[in-house]
Amino acid sequence: MVEKILQSIRKLPAFPASIQKVSDLLRDDDYSTQELVKVIQYDQAITANIMKMSNSAYFGSRQKIRTIHEAVVFLGRRHLQSAVFTAGASRFFQASKGGYVDKGKALWEHSVAVAVMSQILSRHLRQREDQELYTAALMHDIGKLILGEFVQDAYEKIQIQMERRSCSFLEAEEEILGINHAELGGRIADQWNFPPAIRDGIAFHHRPDLLDDEDSIAGLIYLSDQFCLMAGIDGGLDGLAHRGIGSVMKQFQLREVDLERNLIVLLDELDKAADVLQLVN
Amino acid sequence: MDIVVGISDIKCSSKNEDVLVTYALGSCIAVAVHDPVAGVAGLLHFMLPDSTLDQSKAAQAPAMFADTGIPLLFKSCYQLGAEKRRMTVKVAGGASILNDTDYFRIGKKNITAMRKIFWRNNVLIGAEDTGLNFNRTVRLSVADGKCLVKVSNGTLKEI
Repeated sequence: MVEKILQSIRKLPAFPASIQKVSDLLRDDDYSTQELVKVIQYDQAITANIMKMSNSAYFGSRQKIRTIHEAVVFLGRRHLQSAVFTAGASRFFQASKGGYVDKGKALWEHSVAVAVMSQILSRHLRQREDQELYTAALMHDIGKLILGEFVQDAYEKIQIQMERRSCSFLEAEEEILGINHAELGGRIADQWNFPPAIRDGIAFHHRPDLLDDEDSIAGLIYLSDQFCLMAGIDGGLDGLAHRGIGSVMKQFQLREVDLERNLIVLLDELDKAADVLQLVN
Repeated sequence: MDIVVGISDIKCSSKNEDVLVTYALGSCIAVAVHDPVAGVAGLLHFMLPDSTLDQSKAAQAPAMFADTGIPLLFKSCYQLGAEKRRMTVKVAGGASILNDTDYFRIGKKNITAMRKIFWRNNVLIGAEDTGLNFNRTVRLSVADGKCLVKVSNGTLKEI
């Protein structure tokens, strides 16, 4: 089974080249707006999504943004990377055929919610937003999309396994499929040439304690994911069948009351991000 | 008609054809009330146990918390003609993640807070499907107070 799944990764469409280009251009402090506009415009789907997003309350626009040039200027270095990434990544969720994941749209909503939550936590803990963390959080469940397309009948077996052994969803995946969706996501990240920090964030988002790296973003993605699951924004069929790892809360010196407060912020921000959620139907 | 109740939201109806629905409860709890004589039903989807966490938020969105949401649910039903002594109460949700440590107890805290409120107000919980690690969807029909719970593993049951 695992061979078949790994082979299926190779059939995945390439990650949009224009996003990679935008990242490269943004790395230069003195980036050219003109050049960015040119790269983005080359991809019509991304352009259309960027226009929708730059007018969403999540990115805080007060005036109507009418052209892609205005959008690039308005989003600026602070938001352009995550906006372009979101605009380009949505196509993979759009194409999802269901099965193992309930619906592509539900998984998209979960993914955006986890990305939004990751920024709330980053602001809370480090007083800054973090686009690398946003990207990894948005893509953390990408492995589920692949499993959804290729192993539709495995879901029932996973369900039985969880009930019989009272194990977590992740452990049941490993038993039945030979690989869990997080690790598979890490392999996809490799294939798409994502930076190692993002790859590890995806691959260890359920078990950040197994990663011997205190600076990894996996812990924050783990927390963002669990908080969204508790709020019911799950996007899959795994419900809350994941292990609680208290050491991660300790590592960030978070108390339960912080969790509750951040859930309130999450609901407010998701209201503002309605246009982003609607990128996938 | 299906009337959707969002997170931190309350909906009530006295129209026979209406069904109140709330999706994806997670650790949140749905409180479903019904008065068969008045033909009134109400559904609350609250997220957190205690409004002292953020009182300005509680003033703006009382349905977010158990202690402000549950009284508002009952009052909203009274306005449609329901009476407390005839009302049935069913609850669902309050799930937790596995072997939750001291840090992830929102589901359990929600269940405890809700029970205390009902106990203090002499209200009996007629039926419930709470705890465990499932995500739940609840449908409450105004006509007969029938309450269906759909669980993330696909099972559907009436409580």
